[in-house]
Amino acid sequence: MDERRRRFEALLLPHLDAAYNLARWLSRSAAEAEDVVQDAMLRALKSFDRFRGGDARPWLLAIVRNCHRTAAKRRASFVSVPIDEEIDGMTGDIPNAFRADTPDPESAATANAERRKLDTVLAALPEEFREVLILRELEEMSYREIAEATGVPMGTVMSRLARARALLKERWLQSEGASS
Amino acid sequence: MSCTKLLTTQAYIDDELDAAAALAAERHIETCAECAALRAEGLAIRKALREQASYHRAPEKLRAAVRQKIGDPVSSPSVAKGGFGALAKPGRSFFAGAGFGAALALAASLLIFVLGAPVRDEMANDVVAAHIRSLIGTHLVDVASNDHHTVKPWFAGHSDVSPPVGDFAKAGFTLVGGRVDYVDGRRAAVTVYRHGAHVMNVFAWKDLGDVKPGTRLRNGYRLLSWEKHGLFFCAVSDTGQSELVRLSQLIQSSDRATE
Repeated sequence: MDERRRRFEALLLPHLDAAYNLARWLSRSAAEAEDVVQDAMLRALKSFDRFRGGDARPWLLAIVRNCHRTAAKRRASFVSVPIDEEIDGMTGDIPNAFRADTPDPESAATANAERRKLDTVLAALPEEFREVLILRELEEMSYREIAEATGVPMGTVMSRLARARALLKERWLQSEGASS
Repeated sequence: MSCTKLLTTQAYIDDELDAAAALAAERHIETCAECAALRAEGLAIRKALREQASYHRAPEKLRAAVRQKIGDPVSSPSVAKGGFGALAKPGRSFFAGAGFGAALALAASLLIFVLGAPVRDEMANDVVAAHIRSLIGTHLVDVASNDHHTVKPWFAGHSDVSPPVGDFAKAGFTLVGGRVDYVDGRRAAVTVYRHGAHVMNVFAWKDLGDVKPGTRLRNGYRLLSWEKHGLFFCAVSDTGQSELVRLSQLIQSSDRATE
């Protein structure tokens, strides 16, 4: 194994979970997320010379995001279902997207039910809002890191985050109302 | 009717403000109902997402497929999965695992990012190696308990160091347990916390001599070290800087409470 590849593995492999988590939340499908991550890791390896050092996570996530976009566009041109309908409809394969890959430590049925409910609300948010919440709250990234990963100015990150939180709250309350 | 400082309040709950600005934001929130509500909602959303939303970890078969695709002939599932418990025994190199060890040893030659006075390179690598080992192996804790009255006495019986241990679940840092690990040739008492989807290992030693407190980022993991009452601490995780700082403050203040 050459040195460049070793360095790549040391810097990038620790972020494989983050890459998969983002891809999974963006694509809402386990199979697609795996394809996106494999594609992203290959692209990252190819353009590794352009990585300027520092934390590799935002850099890798930016690539994951681009790979997801490319795959989604390709898919949209083959399948006749418009993207918007897929996002708002919450039908088809979406419940499948929430099966955990690893055994859930909280086995209590109520915890799982809560989890599924919040997952469903989050998955139904428009992509740009879903993405910023995943990066901020699940990856715990800073505004600067999110700006780097998503390729938008920090001001946009802040306003998106505010709208994402407001929208999540609104839909969460709606789902609470609907289920009680 | 909308307050003009909503984004500042949001930046406050996201730990994006410096100390002076954070203080000003706190004062403002005390007097502004709209911002107080925003903070409460923001924190509730954070808690719900971190505790209830699914964090999808990369499946093992994807990990293997990626390794194969990027052309890594060395690593095999047996290296990645087994053997790290055995490596934690004294006298054996941490870097005995083939592909993994080689990668980390190489990382030792790469100074990635340093803030403040750093812990030594070998030390930082050992801490990160021990952290990763605790995540992928079966040896995260020797004593599993969220009760600090169980974990702290356990250290007294199994380690020459008895670091402060607290359960900061209310602040979002749940005590998972403790273990003894070997880092840089020394026995370390390790307290393990969970924050959302992230595991945070806090190593404690005494008599480290030339090591200075500071922060570093290594291999994608953040390290924060400090010294207190002759003990040297190093917290490591893949969380953001602010979470490490908060945990460190909680540990230091719990230490003060027991003095």
